[in-house]
Amino acid sequence: MRRLIPFVVLIAVVAVLNGWLDQRFYVRVLTLSVVWALAGVAWNLMAKAGQISLGHSAFVGMGAYGFTILLRGGGTSPWVGMAIGMGVAAAVALAIGLPTFRLRGFYFTLATISFPLIMELLVSHYGDPELTVPFHPESEWKFMEFSNSHTYVWVGLGMLVIALAISELIDVTSFGFALRAIRDNEVLARAVGIRTVAWKSAAFMISAALSAAMAVLWVKAVLRVTVAEEVFGITVVIVMLSVAFVGGVGQTWGPVVGAAFLIPLAMFLDDSIGESVPGAQELVYAAALVLVALLIPRGILPAIEKGCRQLATRPRPSLEQAGPSLFGRLAAPPPRPSPLLRMPRRPVRSRLPQPSDTPVLEVDGVAKSFGANRVLSDVAFSVDAGRRVGIIGPNGAGKTTLFNIMTAHLRADAGRILFKGIQMDRMRAPRRYELGMSRTFQVPQGFHLMSPLDNVVVAAIGASMPDPVAASMTMLERVGLAGKALGELSALTTAEIKSLELARAMVSEPDLLLLDEPLAGLNEAERARFFETVDELVAPHTAIVVIEHSVRSLIQYVESVVALDEGLVIAQGRPEDVVSDARVIEAYLGSRWMEHARDQ
Amino acid sequence: MVEFLQFLVPGILIGGVYALLASGLGLIFGVMRVVNFAQADFMMLAMYLSWALFAGGVGLDPFLAVPAVFVVFLLLGMAVHWLFIRFVIGRRENHDAQVILTIGLGLIFQNLILIRYSSEPRVVAPSYANEGDFIGDIFISRVRLYAFLLSVLVAALLFLFLNRSRTGRAIRAASENWEAATYMGIDIDRTNRIAFGVGVALTAVGGSALVTFQSITPFVGFRFVVVMFAAVVLGGLGSVSGAFVGGVLIGIIQSVSQVWTSAAVKNVWVFALFLLILYVRPNGLFGKVQRAI
Repeated sequence: MRRLIPFVVLIAVVAVLNGWLDQRFYVRVLTLSVVWALAGVAWNLMAKAGQISLGHSAFVGMGAYGFTILLRGGGTSPWVGMAIGMGVAAAVALAIGLPTFRLRGFYFTLATISFPLIMELLVSHYGDPELTVPFHPESEWKFMEFSNSHTYVWVGLGMLVIALAISELIDVTSFGFALRAIRDNEVLARAVGIRTVAWKSAAFMISAALSAAMAVLWVKAVLRVTVAEEVFGITVVIVMLSVAFVGGVGQTWGPVVGAAFLIPLAMFLDDSIGESVPGAQELVYAAALVLVALLIPRGILPAIEKGCRQLATRPRPSLEQAGPSLFGRLAAPPPRPSPLLRMPRRPVRSRLPQPSDTPVLEVDGVAKSFGANRVLSDVAFSVDAGRRVGIIGPNGAGKTTLFNIMTAHLRADAGRILFKGIQMDRMRAPRRYELGMSRTFQVPQGFHLMSPLDNVVVAAIGASMPDPVAASMTMLERVGLAGKALGELSALTTAEIKSLELARAMVSEPDLLLLDEPLAGLNEAERARFFETVDELVAPHTAIVVIEHSVRSLIQYVESVVALDEGLVIAQGRPEDVVSDARVIEAYLGSRWMEHARDQ
Repeated sequence: MVEFLQFLVPGILIGGVYALLASGLGLIFGVMRVVNFAQADFMMLAMYLSWALFAGGVGLDPFLAVPAVFVVFLLLGMAVHWLFIRFVIGRRENHDAQVILTIGLGLIFQNLILIRYSSEPRVVAPSYANEGDFIGDIFISRVRLYAFLLSVLVAALLFLFLNRSRTGRAIRAASENWEAATYMGIDIDRTNRIAFGVGVALTAVGGSALVTFQSITPFVGFRFVVVMFAAVVLGGLGSVSGAFVGGVLIGIIQSVSQVWTSAAVKNVWVFALFLLILYVRPNGLFGKVQRAI
């Protein structure tokens, strides 16, 4: 219900203004505010995944040129032209996105810059730098040729509402969770089954299609002529960036707030002093960008929300006392995936059956080098269902690298990893997680912009659990974090973060659990408790592999040990045999101290 | 063959200037991991300064004005770092803020210049602007040759600065491993400020090298943004020497493409190459492979 309120407010405000304003200039300001809010909402879909595009004018240009060419050529209705342009833009977005989505950091932003530049140059040189839109007075609606300029505002409002509804729908489904997880911590997102490339591509395609749709309205209602320099130009991107960042980057309603604030300001300034100060409009956007970057990097809406939440919740909220105060109601709760709206994906359990005679995990001849530095050579061992195996070795022995290869965060130079008898070499991290492989990290990882509960929900979504929220809440109760489920991640102690990591790794009910130094940073009592919790959580068939430096705690827990030194397996077998093995002692103590060790 | 050489030689000459422009961007990214989208607008400002010194009564030759331009932009760069950039450095969450801050600063520069000097193109034409020499059948423009030689000279000085001076070594250390550098007692804020100043000044000098054959408008920077990014990515993000090689290669490609297609679309080749490198070798032609976690 509360999600509908902003829609009602938006429609009411625009309707009142549209009925009340009659001067041409004011109607133009209103039209352009709606047009740029729409553009900002489209652009912001990519920002939900933390991807800053500087190339959206490519899609705006395609939409504008697409419908103009079709209208000029065969008298095609702009509505049909819009649909075709949206399809083409989505296809081009996929082609642009796929190669860059495997890279992280600035690469996507850099790659997007050049597309509109290429298109503008090619269109201007080999095509027409300027196309007039033919006048078709015979049918107002068919040709979007409204004699009453207020009608364009209604059409724009309709398109804006549709775009906002799409954005809201994304927010409340696993789609939105996946995008937020990617923005927050992409490596972790992949490790908990989020198919980052697929989700980013989907968001980019929808975003591109909406941008192309916006272009048709922009040209028909305001520009009246399609100019390559304008529709492919960088100013389009600047305005999209400005309205989105000022309102709230990645926030559905951000661009609406940003556009309502910036577009009238820029246009009134331009109208009053534009004659003598030619760059006044651009200066408004520029100043807005600089101020937002320095003062409220996430925008106005999140800043207001944060303020309200701080006022509403002192002390920290717990599940029981989420009493709705005024500020509490203003501060939107973190979105939950609604069970009705969950995106159907592959069948819930796409797990492989566990063949009874095959080990869960077989590592066979795995080797890895970083440049000239050989980290693993010919590592081989296997783990049967329900068994617990420890991996020990001095620092730099290659233990974590081995985990990273098992979970596809790194690629092995040679050798095979078999999971339930299936070769995994070509499978990426999310697929391995879906099949039942789960891990924790040596340096605990988290989605820092999400609550502890949502951290687990992402992992449940990644495993296609039927009810991710319920499964996650149950898991948090079992590790003793229910009381802090809705708090902030930064409020957790080291032991609680370790519990959260465990809950996240266990929510998918994995067949193989990989624990990377789970006891590091825990005190004696917490250490003793940790493995008890693990045993309470795991199913009998789950195999566990633990990397741990605290050999004493480890050998009490595991049934066999693999000892690594300088990338080689130097011993494996029963814990008591491995820790008394001469080579293992030498690896830990160095040969000089071997004599002393033997004497004792 | 002669036709090819007629494009190759100017390509190398302009490539030298691109190399200088890009080295500033590369230095800044290398040290503080900030992609400075305002870099080309510092170049634009430097072009206006050169023009003002030349046309504004002083009559100073743009090549002789280079030391003054360097000092002015070193200070301007340090001031911009101190006023703005230092607040958005560091954590990964700041990426967005870096992008919009530098885009916003660039826009402010462009529009302030637009308000002050209008969009009318300005030219700097010293007496020798149209002179040149034939070597065999190949014409070599004097101003382009000077611009190239200036770039090589500045590159050599940059190399000496980075390798021989204390500050230069601190900059290299910070660019290699920021955290370890702080443990070695390097004042990272000061190093960043100087690196930003030097980076801006290098690009500014590149701008003054351009003015004798490139007309100046408030929006001239935009045409060079992608050229600079392309050069930097080609050489490997963060590598100053890589940016140099990348700049020369971009100049050659841009120029030689005119053998096959019109000069109007020569930048399409640059942009396409830029994308190809991003897709195929994102760490650059000589880049190192990074570890995943």
